[in-house]
Amino acid sequence: MFPKLDPLLHSELRLALVSILAGVEEADFSYLKKQTGATAGNLSVQIDKLAAAGYITVEKGFKGKMPCTTCRITPAGTEAFASYVKALKKYLAAGK
Amino acid sequence: MENTNEKNKEMTAQESLSLITETLNNSRKEITRRGGKYFLLWGALLTIFSLLVYLLWKTTGHGEWNFLWFAMPAIGIILERMLRKKDVTDRAKNDVSRIIGGIWAAFGIFSCALALFTVIYTEMGSGLFGPLAAALSMTPGIISLFGLAECITGVALKNWTIKIAGFVTGIGGLSIYYISGSTIEQMFIFTFSGIVLVATGLIVKFQYR
Repeated sequence: MFPKLDPLLHSELRLALVSILAGVEEADFSYLKKQTGATAGNLSVQIDKLAAAGYITVEKGFKGKMPCTTCRITPAGTEAFASYVKALKKYLAAGK
Repeated sequence: MENTNEKNKEMTAQESLSLITETLNNSRKEITRRGGKYFLLWGALLTIFSLLVYLLWKTTGHGEWNFLWFAMPAIGIILERMLRKKDVTDRAKNDVSRIIGGIWAAFGIFSCALALFTVIYTEMGSGLFGPLAAALSMTPGIISLFGLAECITGVALKNWTIKIAGFVTGIGGLSIYYISGSTIEQMFIFTFSGIVLVATGLIVKFQYR
């Protein structure tokens, strides 16, 4: 029996976001936009979805006079990401 | 209105795993590329300051020009902050970038401490920068620390170019020091280190462009 892949992570942009955040302590919106190559609107929507699921935290503040949105992965997000990778490996191992 | 369906497509297991691997690899490359930029900055500063101090010391005969060295970290930190503000990719930190920052901060503190102690204690009773040998006695210590910091940075980034540059700087600098003896020309050890740092920065930038 194959484990079910987390539908929230099984989307290109959301998976890219969680992968980036899993490797850093925190990242701001501009950094995520550059790394993923997504549009600001799309990125905002996907960040909100991940935040609503409790996978990431979003902190809105200011850097000088500029607004700054900082994202961090939560322990729940790290766990979901690890489970997702484990499940992927099972799928791939079965396919060999 | 922006299309929120772009880049949200479902992927196969293989595509997902490839995306994760690529993202993690890109993060590591990004940090190394960023390191290359700062190698260029500090290498250029080191080259300029060593030549400036050498020229002023040589032409005036006053060793006090060595105090100019203390201006280098101040200028470097200001320039580094300006670069960091400009670069969007410099706004994410992880354990590796934190370790590298710590290594170079420790190098800066130990070098300044060594320079200060040498100035205060070695020259006591004989006037500041009296004997040339005393003024130059901090060189092997600083050059060893410099090579060590560069080498550990290479280890943290898993980059052989930086590791080798660290050995070249540290061991090459020490060899020049002990072979050439105490002369003002020893300032060229720092020029040499600065050039090695610039070359390392360029190679890293080329590797990860």
